[in-house]
Amino acid sequence: MRIESPKQLAALRKDLLAKDKQTTKKLMVCCGPGCLANGAGKLVTEFRNTLKKKHIKGISVEILKETGCHGFCEQGPLVVIEPEGIFYTHVKPADVETIIEESLRHDYVIDGLLYTDHRTGERKRTYHDIDFYSKQTRIALRNLGKIDQYSIDDYIMHGGYQSMAKVLTSMTPDSVISEVKTSGLRGRGGAGFPAGKKWESCAKADDWPHYVVCNGDEGDPGAFMDRSIMEGDPHSVIEGMIICAFAVGARNGYIYVREEYPLAVQNLQLAIKQATDYGLIGEKILGTEFSFEIKVNRGAGAFVCGESSALMKSIAGEVGEPRAKYVRSVLKGLHDHPTVLNNVESYANIPVIIDKGGEWFAKIGTPKSTGTKAFSLVGKVRNTGLIEVPMGTTLREIIYDIGGGIQDDRPFKAVQTGGPSGGCLPDDKLDLPVDFDTLTDAYSMMGSGGMIIMDDRTCVVDVAKYFLKFLVDESCGKCTPCREGLYQLHALAQKISDGLGTEDDIVKMEKLSDVIIMGSLCGLGKSGPNPFVSTIRYFRDEYLAHIKDHKCPAGVCTALIRYDIIPEKCDGCMACIFACAVNAITGRKGKVHTINQDICTKCGACMAVCRRHAVEVS
Amino acid sequence: MNSRLVVKPNLCIGCRTCELACSFTHTVDGKPGRSRIFMLDGGYDKLWVTVTCLQCDDPACVKSCLVDALRRNEVTGAIELNQEKCVKCMACVAACPFGCAILDSGHNQVVKCDLCGGDPACARFCPTKALEYQPIAQTQKAKKVG
Amino acid sequence: MATVNITINGRVVRAEKGEMLLDVIRREGIEIPATCAHKAVEAFGACRLCTVEITKDDWKGWKNYVTSCLYPVEAGLIVFTHSQPVIDLRKTLLDLQLARHPNTPLIQEMAAQYGVNKTSYEELPDADDCILCALCTRVCDTMGFAAISTVGRGHGKKVAPPLDQPPPACVGCLACAQVCPTNFIKFTQAGAHREIWGKAFDMITCTRCGKAVITKEFAENLSANRNIPREYFDVCDDCHRKELAGTMGRIANWNREEVTR
Repeated sequence: MRIESPKQLAALRKDLLAKDKQTTKKLMVCCGPGCLANGAGKLVTEFRNTLKKKHIKGISVEILKETGCHGFCEQGPLVVIEPEGIFYTHVKPADVETIIEESLRHDYVIDGLLYTDHRTGERKRTYHDIDFYSKQTRIALRNLGKIDQYSIDDYIMHGGYQSMAKVLTSMTPDSVISEVKTSGLRGRGGAGFPAGKKWESCAKADDWPHYVVCNGDEGDPGAFMDRSIMEGDPHSVIEGMIICAFAVGARNGYIYVREEYPLAVQNLQLAIKQATDYGLIGEKILGTEFSFEIKVNRGAGAFVCGESSALMKSIAGEVGEPRAKYVRSVLKGLHDHPTVLNNVESYANIPVIIDKGGEWFAKIGTPKSTGTKAFSLVGKVRNTGLIEVPMGTTLREIIYDIGGGIQDDRPFKAVQTGGPSGGCLPDDKLDLPVDFDTLTDAYSMMGSGGMIIMDDRTCVVDVAKYFLKFLVDESCGKCTPCREGLYQLHALAQKISDGLGTEDDIVKMEKLSDVIIMGSLCGLGKSGPNPFVSTIRYFRDEYLAHIKDHKCPAGVCTALIRYDIIPEKCDGCMACIFACAVNAITGRKGKVHTINQDICTKCGACMAVCRRHAVEVS
Repeated sequence: MNSRLVVKPNLCIGCRTCELACSFTHTVDGKPGRSRIFMLDGGYDKLWVTVTCLQCDDPACVKSCLVDALRRNEVTGAIELNQEKCVKCMACVAACPFGCAILDSGHNQVVKCDLCGGDPACARFCPTKALEYQPIAQTQKAKKVG
Repeated sequence: MATVNITINGRVVRAEKGEMLLDVIRREGIEIPATCAHKAVEAFGACRLCTVEITKDDWKGWKNYVTSCLYPVEAGLIVFTHSQPVIDLRKTLLDLQLARHPNTPLIQEMAAQYGVNKTSYEELPDADDCILCALCTRVCDTMGFAAISTVGRGHGKKVAPPLDQPPPACVGCLACAQVCPTNFIKFTQAGAHREIWGKAFDMITCTRCGKAVITKEFAENLSANRNIPREYFDVCDDCHRKELAGTMGRIANWNREEVTR
């Protein structure tokens, strides 16, 4: 079916809404990456099969929706029953029968599957009652968990493509751009360049054709915001891109998705096909003169291809290496033509901005960083998952109120924002309101929105070393400072972590960092030394402990620690003996065990298995 | 392009002054390079022929150059080789049907006649006027006379 | 193209708007190092040695460090090619290069010019001479063959033919080896047999003297794509000249006889 006019689109939506009213209940099964990994796929099959067998009035397979990521990955697989919003956690296929019988046939709530607040021990009935959700404001993630990720009808029913219709029929490219400018939306990929300004420069460039590109090459370790949007709500990205294309006069668009996101590629391609079938992409969209096509490009697994100029080279089929941007890609981008490149999350915000107006959007967040930002909370935080909060929310609110604090209530040590080239912020920055500028001022950065939370058992030298290694491997290798400089920086960090460093090494690293920042060609190199620069700024003492005292305070750097068994605590259960991969532990049952330091590889397996906490690290 | 290098074998005495003039004129580092003009045996008694680039109208060397290092100087009409651009693939050396682009192995560069920018040294130093750099009108006239 | 005035090291010079700063600097006889620049290919900006300090009167004291090979000239630019931060940058870059290529003469010389005789970093144990300037691959691309490419990324990046196999697209022109600033790219030439990147080439030999002229692949490529008669490549340059001399000689002799008769 092809939708020929905005009227037809409105009629379709009306039909869908009417049809939707007939179903009393909806069963949302989270099929986000986290829940899928925990077996949501089996759960869906089980629900489908069981629903087919049962004949309950008003309840059929139709009510089952495979939604995108609900965000609360820690508790997955998640099942939500609408309209009440009953929130079931850790659902197993065995629970399916019960859920259908109790909660769908009748309105009973199964207590055992509810979320328990870790502080009060109280069971929460619906997700509205859970801090993790109630403290969020969702714009880019608005549809995640609410719509079926495979259904364009669901998207349209929830107001999808209405903004596009509005733009195509009642707005001019200029008015779209001015609306986006009013909204103050800044690029969500990390740099925070005002999107409206970018669109305006591209629209003005008198060199045709223009291109619209969506950056879905989310490569930061521990970041999955864009992935979740592309998988769970692909149409919002597509709609954002169409609106952008209309504003800048582009006819072709590309979505560049990293190869490691097969489901995102699949869902985007499905969405493009659905939209094309409806005539929402292609020639003469909604009967207007505007035509636009979108192609999905798969990256080949290079982190650097998330950098805009490398990404465009990669789309063009060249080696994914950045170029110097003395001429900006807005003027000379893909195929050397004016190109707007925005991040997935930026595009996902666009339909809402058009729908509710730029002024509405600008009221959310802080004056200079408007709107909301999605973050993925990972690391030693209690509630790992995907969240979206208004700009200006403090780190403390994010980590403690939404994130539920640190796992096992250990002390907070640092939060790493902005991916590998971002920075680590210590506890005295916890009350920092998070926006583009405050993070930059605190020598970190917004980045794409990954937040890695670390507790006292994380060694910052080790963290710096890890991220430097990541960047050494993921540097494109084109320019000397990044390729060789980061390599040497990592070598020096390794030296310190091995307990062989000197204070001169720190001075050397600082000087080298300056050169890498000053001399590198692209953003990856220019921010490459950040893992070191930010940790040395806030955690110099810890570096010095490695150098002067030859100690790793967090007990991580293997060259500087030893594991010992406390004889008073050991009951000779032999668990550690079996756990040790290198047979470094000796002892007989019932007798105190000992660790042979010459053989021990300091993997920590003994400590992990000891129920009596008899293994200590020093 | 107003003038051409005219070769008159019958006036040539085989002294090779042209070759010397050429190699010294084009030398930058003090050691004479290979001459871009060649005094060759004409195949008859006391007949010598000097051969150098004919600056063809449809030059094979220019067509063969894949990095655009060979271009005609519109002022002198000479096809000039931009040494900074040359990648020494030897395509022009092989493609020239007159063998007038050559490798100067001493300097490891490809060389060819560039008419010395409009005042060819070979003609200037030729004692018998067997080589002359003449205005085109005059060469046409000479042709007519036969 | 409009002509603009810019200031380099305090001297006002004229330049074409939009031409690359490095070209202007070199034209003015100022020497700055650059290992990845070559006129045959587009500027690349990999070695970063040509970085200079720039500012403008209206930048309120703000300055920037840019790679001059890639920076288009604009009016009012004030350039410092040897300010202290720039010299320090080059020094560190060469120091880093020297750590990776401790035995490469080109790097040793360049580093020595900036006072680095021994690297202050950890030397790479299995060092080779490839400085990853990518001139070879870029020249190969520009010539339209794209037979070799940089492979991999990060510190392990290298130049190689596809899958480390003899490159199908290679015509054996040796341009890659010729432009390599450190002579890292090796080839062999024995009579009419040439080998590079593990690919063997039989060369066309001169029908007159037997000298090797050009690889068959290159000749066929040029005659097919560049409209050069294939038979041009059958004779070497020496024999071509002799042929020309013979032809001219015959005409001259005929003229001589005309005159004497």
